[in-house]
Amino acid sequence: MLSRLFSHRMRALIVKELSHMKRDRRIMMSLVMPPLLQLMLFGTVMSPDVANVQLGIVDSSQSPESRELVAALSQSGSFVLRSVYYSADALGDDLSKGTIAAGVVISPSFARDLHTGRPTTVQVLLNAVNANTAAISQGYVQGVVQNFNQTIQIDTHQVAGTGAGRRGFAILRPTLLFNPGGVTTWFIVTGLLGSLLIMNGSMTASTTMVKEREAGTLEQLLMTPSKISEIIIAKIAPSFAMLTVTGLVGVAVVGLYFDVPFRGSAWLLVVASALCLLCGIGMGTAMATLTKSATQAQLATFFITPPLMSLSGAMTPAEAMPVWMRPFTVLNPVYHFGVISRATMIKGSGISDLWPNMLALVVFALVLMSVSVWRFRRQLN
Amino acid sequence: MTRLLAQTRKELTQLTRDRLAVALVLVLPLMQLTLMGNSFSLIVHDLPIVVQDFDGSKSSRELIEAFRASQTFQIIVWPTDRSPDEAFSKGSARGAVIIPEHFGRDIARGVDAQVQIVLDGSDANTAKLVSANAGGVARSFNATHGAVGTPQPVRTAVRFWYNPSLSSKRFYGPGLMVMSISMFPPLLATLAMAREGERKTILQVFVSNVSAHEFLLGKILAFMIVTLGEVALLLAFQFVFFGAHLAGDPTPFLVATLLYAFCVAAFGTMVGVFIPNQAAAMQAVMFGGFLLVFMLSGLMFPLSNIPSGLRWLSNFVWGRYYIEIVRDMFLQGAGWPAVWWKVLAIAGIGATFYGGTWRRMRRMQLEV
Repeated sequence: MLSRLFSHRMRALIVKELSHMKRDRRIMMSLVMPPLLQLMLFGTVMSPDVANVQLGIVDSSQSPESRELVAALSQSGSFVLRSVYYSADALGDDLSKGTIAAGVVISPSFARDLHTGRPTTVQVLLNAVNANTAAISQGYVQGVVQNFNQTIQIDTHQVAGTGAGRRGFAILRPTLLFNPGGVTTWFIVTGLLGSLLIMNGSMTASTTMVKEREAGTLEQLLMTPSKISEIIIAKIAPSFAMLTVTGLVGVAVVGLYFDVPFRGSAWLLVVASALCLLCGIGMGTAMATLTKSATQAQLATFFITPPLMSLSGAMTPAEAMPVWMRPFTVLNPVYHFGVISRATMIKGSGISDLWPNMLALVVFALVLMSVSVWRFRRQLN
Repeated sequence: MTRLLAQTRKELTQLTRDRLAVALVLVLPLMQLTLMGNSFSLIVHDLPIVVQDFDGSKSSRELIEAFRASQTFQIIVWPTDRSPDEAFSKGSARGAVIIPEHFGRDIARGVDAQVQIVLDGSDANTAKLVSANAGGVARSFNATHGAVGTPQPVRTAVRFWYNPSLSSKRFYGPGLMVMSISMFPPLLATLAMAREGERKTILQVFVSNVSAHEFLLGKILAFMIVTLGEVALLLAFQFVFFGAHLAGDPTPFLVATLLYAFCVAAFGTMVGVFIPNQAAAMQAVMFGGFLLVFMLSGLMFPLSNIPSGLRWLSNFVWGRYYIEIVRDMFLQGAGWPAVWWKVLAIAGIGATFYGGTWRRMRRMQLEV
């Protein structure tokens, strides 16, 4: 097998493919630039962060206590006090226009209730059009109010000295493991890398395959003594090599440009990237046998991209999918790549934890490559 | 006018002959909406977390029950002699709740007990969301089990306006609809136009008595009809499956839809006129229709999160305004006062596209 790989015929075919590439600089560029630019753009632009939530306030109490709560909210770093209103209706209007995203309404009896020891309620209105932003903002507001409550209680304890008879609180101390700063980009870029590798791999493979047919030179190639499998390997090898370089640069971009830590084995990630590329190339080759022109091949990718992206957990967590959808992620190489890249880079897991995902990638690569060779062969006969 | 309509009819006939194109317009948007509309969500549920109970008292079990009752968590009881890190590196759990020894005794004595919650930060957004949810669980635990005699002085009553069930579908549905109609109709328009350039059939148009306006408007009208058909289909789908309902005055939406259909059809035609090569023109449309509308329109993530060096670009992205108008109709319902300028922005961008195409077209006619 190995000797066949390096036979004269094979070498001649690879030289032919390389000179194609060399002559068409556009292919060289399109193998390297778009995936990297996409990775950088997507990673920079896509962020589910919830910060600087525009806050509106109605403070009907106008007391030192209410002002303290307002100050606590606006100093929390999560909210920016945008404007102060005199009625809840005016606040509601701006909430619906979208100028503010959160509103806090403090009732006139706020300070009086606190002094007399009665519980008082603060109304929090959140624009929940974006569910994620609303849910996280809610957590922020309640965190601020909880802190506020604790400071008040310390004050009242000191004044009244009533420590006895009270029961303790369960206080949660949340810690973010692996990513103490809570950088959301890490999740997205590690997942996107896989989908970009697969999509660019399939795109390159399908265009190189279709090109030969469009030019009508495929028959000439078949007249040569080379076997079909040699033709396919020779076609795939150069773009695979180029794309592997792209993959390595992509990993470097994730590590250096986006500052994702590299805690685990780099080899694991490189192998996973190569397997992803093979999956993509297999997919593209199979697709090329189904279409007649480069335009059609490109249109056909539109049918593959939506399921590949949406069932991947690359941009949004797989745990947020509906239950009926989640099992399908197992059939998606992008999903497995995402699991591997996140675990090796951010968590430092090794092959002993990740072998099921690795195995899945190997299986996908083998199946897709064999399907493409089979399709190609059948089409030629 | 008759010449214009004849052009439209020719375009539509040509379109219906191409089966792939028809599938692209009718099947693909529905597929995209179903798949992405259901899977795009950041609100996790049944997230596996391990619980280590070093106390084993009644109170600690009650706290675990409180976590179990929440839809966000799926509790895995973890033996106290194993480190929860094992579950993290395998990926079998995404968080750990560690209840300390003497938890129950401390609470009964009136001492605050600290419960550690460790979250897998590799997905930071989920970690923040889960930490907010865990805070809610702890609050409800405190309200019922702890802190008797000293109620929390300030309580919050949180109201989620416009989307009380925090459904992600209702947020992403309109955006995905806009993405579909920003991608596929201009794609067809550009292929049709680039084909005329490639096969030189455009020369026949130049020598005929059809004026540039008639030719372009005829083409644009055909693809506007395609766009409007797609909108109708996607809207019906959202009403039936995505729980969408009108929140306010639909007239801004109707006006904006007409203008947006013009805008995307003109965009596709413009690209086809400037790049008379189907493959290259297609890539240009994908850049404009997909990349720009997907990335710089606030479809998935808030625009305010984009670094300001890139954010200004979103002011030129036509899809951005339309997404905001559709969301307003389905969710907020503020109507004309909030969106009038966005309708104007769409009209302005559409007119620019048309003007550019028309000038180019006239120059081409003179050159030939």
